[in-house]
Amino acid sequence: MRDVWLQVAQVLTVIALAPLLQGVILQWEERVQRARGPGIFQPYRDLWKLFHKQGVVPHSASFIYWIAPIVAFTCMLTVPILIPVLTDFPLPESDMGDILGGGLILTLGSFFITLAGLDSGSAYGGIGSSRAVMLAILAEPTLILVFVGITLLAKAMLPFVVNHLLVAQPAVYWSPAHLFLVAAFFILLLVETDRLPIHSSTHIEVYMIDEARILEYSGPLLALLKWASMMKQFILYTIFCNVLLLPWGLSRRGAALGALAAAGALFAKFLLVALTVVFVETAQSRLRYYRYQEPLAVSFLLAVLAIVANQLR
Amino acid sequence: MFAAQLPPLAASLFSLVAIASLLLSFVMLGSRWLTDYLVAFAAQSWLIACLSAAIGYYGHFPELYVIAALTALFRGVVLPYLILGIIKRLDVDREMHERLSPSACLVVGALLVLFAFLISSHLGQALGLSGTVAVLALTVMLSMKLIGFLMLTVRNEALSQILALLVLENGIFLGSQILVPGMPLLIELVILFDLLVVVACFGVLVRFLLAQTGTSDASRLRRLVG
Amino acid sequence: MVPILLGVILLAPLGAVIGCLGIRHPRFVELLNLAAAVSVFLAVLVLLPLALAGPYLFWGGYLIVDPLSAWVLLSVASVYLLASIYAIGYMRSSPDRDLYRFYALFAGFGLTTLAGPLMNNVGVYWIAIELTTLVSTFLVCFELGRESIEAAWKYIVIVSGGISLALLGIIFYYWGGSLIVGATYDLTWAMLRHVAPQVDHTIGLMSFLLVFIGFGTKVGLAPMHTWLPDAHSEGPAPVSAMLSGALLNTAMVGIVRFIQVSDAAQLGLMPRTVVVSIGALSLFVAALFITRQTGIKRLMAYSSVEHMGVMALGFGFGGPLGVAGALYHMLGHSLNKSLMFFGAGNAMHVFHSKRIGRMHRVLSRMPVSGLLWLAGAVAITGAPPFGLFPGEFTILRAGLAGPNGWAALIMLILLIVIFVGFLNHFRAMYFGHAMKPRDETRHVPDRSAAERHEPLSGWCLVPMWLALIPLLVLGLWWPQSFMHYFSAIATELSMGGSP
Repeated sequence: MRDVWLQVAQVLTVIALAPLLQGVILQWEERVQRARGPGIFQPYRDLWKLFHKQGVVPHSASFIYWIAPIVAFTCMLTVPILIPVLTDFPLPESDMGDILGGGLILTLGSFFITLAGLDSGSAYGGIGSSRAVMLAILAEPTLILVFVGITLLAKAMLPFVVNHLLVAQPAVYWSPAHLFLVAAFFILLLVETDRLPIHSSTHIEVYMIDEARILEYSGPLLALLKWASMMKQFILYTIFCNVLLLPWGLSRRGAALGALAAAGALFAKFLLVALTVVFVETAQSRLRYYRYQEPLAVSFLLAVLAIVANQLR
Repeated sequence: MFAAQLPPLAASLFSLVAIASLLLSFVMLGSRWLTDYLVAFAAQSWLIACLSAAIGYYGHFPELYVIAALTALFRGVVLPYLILGIIKRLDVDREMHERLSPSACLVVGALLVLFAFLISSHLGQALGLSGTVAVLALTVMLSMKLIGFLMLTVRNEALSQILALLVLENGIFLGSQILVPGMPLLIELVILFDLLVVVACFGVLVRFLLAQTGTSDASRLRRLVG
Repeated sequence: MVPILLGVILLAPLGAVIGCLGIRHPRFVELLNLAAAVSVFLAVLVLLPLALAGPYLFWGGYLIVDPLSAWVLLSVASVYLLASIYAIGYMRSSPDRDLYRFYALFAGFGLTTLAGPLMNNVGVYWIAIELTTLVSTFLVCFELGRESIEAAWKYIVIVSGGISLALLGIIFYYWGGSLIVGATYDLTWAMLRHVAPQVDHTIGLMSFLLVFIGFGTKVGLAPMHTWLPDAHSEGPAPVSAMLSGALLNTAMVGIVRFIQVSDAAQLGLMPRTVVVSIGALSLFVAALFITRQTGIKRLMAYSSVEHMGVMALGFGFGGPLGVAGALYHMLGHSLNKSLMFFGAGNAMHVFHSKRIGRMHRVLSRMPVSGLLWLAGAVAITGAPPFGLFPGEFTILRAGLAGPNGWAALIMLILLIVIFVGFLNHFRAMYFGHAMKPRDETRHVPDRSAAERHEPLSGWCLVPMWLALIPLLVLGLWWPQSFMHYFSAIATELSMGGSP
């Protein structure tokens, strides 16, 4: 029974803390550029505002327009069940999907949003969708390759097994296979959370990749979409930290205090990663869109090297 | 065989150095700027010198310390210095017209590493050496050779071709340090000096190339056909 | 006796290099180089019968004198002598630009080419080959110009890349041997043959292929031959003769010795099949390019590719007949190719152009040289009564008797194609019609009339006679002593070990 509560608590943590993470990242980006920034709780205020606004629907919208935000939000609710968020032992229903299954569900949400971007027929939606899909063409195979690398590393497809392996054996943690996988996944993290040094953080349509898909939305549907993307970011960070980079600090026995402490430790780990992401994004000037292949090629290369290095371990 | 009976710490140290060298050759493959190539090449040579010294320590081959010092000196300092002189004279600082973009080169390079890995694991199984650092050494040696040939094929700058030839030699040297550390000293010394002579000759040739054709872009050399 | 001869062979060119760099008077350097070449040739002639008594090892096992190396030294030394004589006449007619540099490089080239077959240590042999590349690059681009620097660049990049593969193969083989014998052992040919039976077959096969492709780049076998037409056509004529006649043979020694090692390793039919296939491919590529060729020296270069293919076929077929044919062919080709390049150099001097299309009525412009050149052309396509005919015939016999008979048939057909294609160019040059008026106007008259009819110096004619007469003799009479020599080499090669 307690495990069920823990499972629910995992999902609630993701829902509640995702906007905070986004707020921190945006605030730090502004601070790095010597602006004041909107405050770290701004995304909460934005969501509150959007839920109280009236939604405006284009004439040309079809049923996809309505169901895409719901599908995306639901997918983001499903994935925290599968990954170690608060505890390092599997909770009920966490074997519903392994690493590849989690990746599939994440991509499903993104796919529906891409369809929604095309659905209303506006130009910016089309640009956003096509750019997002172009990135996905290179990013998805690389992501699968990284997952294969992780699987070969731990000889199991469950994230929990990987977590235990890395905590128990420092030799594996510091092996080239693992380090390359961390680097490859970091680049993919940048791509999936739309923090490549290609898009601009200001709201200029020409630079947008993912945000352009949701330009036609307003009101509660927009709130759902924004929340879904913030949760996706949170989930990816969770996978990155809890499975690969910093697998320590998870609750072992599942007591309430342990779960709370795990949530706090989680956020602390995220702050570290967020700092790196902010640094990488702001230190590099904006690149042409077609340079997107370069970080993805590096990521592919690192994933292949990780697989090779793993076999020779 | 030396590489088959190593303490685990030594084995992981050697594999770390070998993989780092391979990563540096990918840095060379994926960048457009000539000084980046050179820095990566110098770093790779230093890493291989460290590897030589480590092998000399663990395998009790005292002459390898001499080789390590000479490698660090000649391949790591003198050669980059000579090539830097050539770069300064050339007045180009980046690869302008490569036949394959750097990111595509990286992907092809990754596939070549996979190919080399397949060959080496097959060979390792046939010899009963699988799971040791020897298979890694073979993989890295073969992939560095393949990457060197890839660089020779797709790069057009004269300097990139010189560096690609040096990467070929580096690959052989790396592999030979792990696989055959007992090779006679004289051979290794002479090969080292031979490299110096090669680069010196290349320096003179590049000067002629610039003087006669006005460019150091090898893709402009198209007059001799048939 | 043998050490003294070795000393002469190696130290005479070395002395010539130092002398040329020291005293820079043009006549002096010419004569110094010539003297070195003459002394080397005489020393090799004396060495030849002495080497039959079995392999001699000197300098702690670093130098080896056995029948194979002595025979290759004979080809190299004869080309060196002939080219040195020709170079005096050729370089005098070109602007007097730092002749001492040319002769120093030339003597250095001779030294490294002579040193190759004598090397017992495989690593040092590889380094000797690398040094020949470096020295000859500067000779190829000696007459600075856009095309020659392009040729030199392609030469050094392709050949350096190729022979690094050979080094990889050698290291692989050494590794395979070290799994059996221990971490440190001498990297000599004999030691490689000694460990050969126990080396793992995969390693043995892989290293053979790598070494074959690597040294094959240097020899000029297709498809690694792409540097050869450029390098051989852009250098001065004596340098081209040395490259074709001497250097390719030195690189062939490495392949032959490694075939010997692979036979000792008993790798089955695959190594020899590969050698034979690549030889046949070289003949095919050469045939295609010879038929549609426009440059006279490129024509000769592709003919070199063809003859290296024939020699690869000979060594690949193996057995006493194959080896004997290939070795006879080696000497004949060296003499003949020198003759052809000398003739081409003379023709270029008379017609001031490299293109076949510009050369007409050769016999009227250069009677004696032209006649010798025509005889050389008939010889190089393998026609009797010249020396290449018995060699090729013997190789064909060896091929038809062995498992790779298809290659012998391909060789036969392609030799006929090359015969027709090659002599077609000569027919056009000697007996064809005069230039069309359209071409006449495009021909830039940039030399004075007196210079156009400057006669060829005797230095340019004598080596052609010196090359043709032995060629004719070799074609009419296969000496019994040669046969004895060849069978000694063949026994050594096929037994997979030195006696």
